[in-house]
Amino acid sequence: MLGAASTRQQTNPPKRADALAEIVLLDQDGNEVRLGDLWSERPAALVWLRHYG
Amino acid sequence: MDRARDEFEAAGVNLVLIGQLTPRHAAHFRRRQELELPVLADKDRVSYKAAGAKVATFSELLGPKVVAKGLRTARQTGQRQGKTLGHPAQLGGAMVIAPGGEVVWSHMADDAGDNATPEEILAAAASATSP
Repeated sequence: MLGAASTRQQTNPPKRADALAEIVLLDQDGNEVRLGDLWSERPAALVWLRHYG
Repeated sequence: MDRARDEFEAAGVNLVLIGQLTPRHAAHFRRRQELELPVLADKDRVSYKAAGAKVATFSELLGPKVVAKGLRTARQTGQRQGKTLGHPAQLGGAMVIAPGGEVVWSHMADDAGDNATPEEILAAAASATSP
C-alpha cells in the first residue's frame, strides 16, 4: 500500500559524497546540474524533500 | 527553509532542495511555496538512493506517532500537506557536504515526521565553514 516497504529499512548516508557528486539532475528550469559542482568551492547543504505535496 | 536562505548565503553555504519527478513539478512547487531556492528534480530518485534515504513502511508513514507529529507541525507552522506526488513512501533527509566531498553531517528521515529543522542544518553547515 502506498508503495511502502514491507520491512523496516535503515537509513544509510555515506561518509563521502563521491557517488552523489557524479549525479546530474535538472533544475526547475531544465538546466543540468552536476551535484558535485555544488560543493566544489564551498560547503553545500542538500535537502531531499519527501514529496512536492 | 527558504526563509533561512539568506543565513545560509551569509555562512557561505550553497543550499539546494531536491524533489522527485520533473523540472515542471519543481517549478510548480517553487511557485506555490514562493521559493527562491533552486529545486532539482530527481525523477528516478537516484540521489535519494545515493544519499541513503529510505522507503518507509506503512507505520512509518501513517503510524499514530507520525500522524500526531504531523498535526502538531501543521498547527505550529500553518502548513498543510497537499497532494502527494512521486513515490509516496520515499523519505527524504538533509546532508552537509564539505569541499572535497566529505559528508560532515546528515539527517536522513527515519519516518515521515522525522525532519531536521533549518536551524539544525544551518548549524551543521556553519561548522563546515569554520577553520
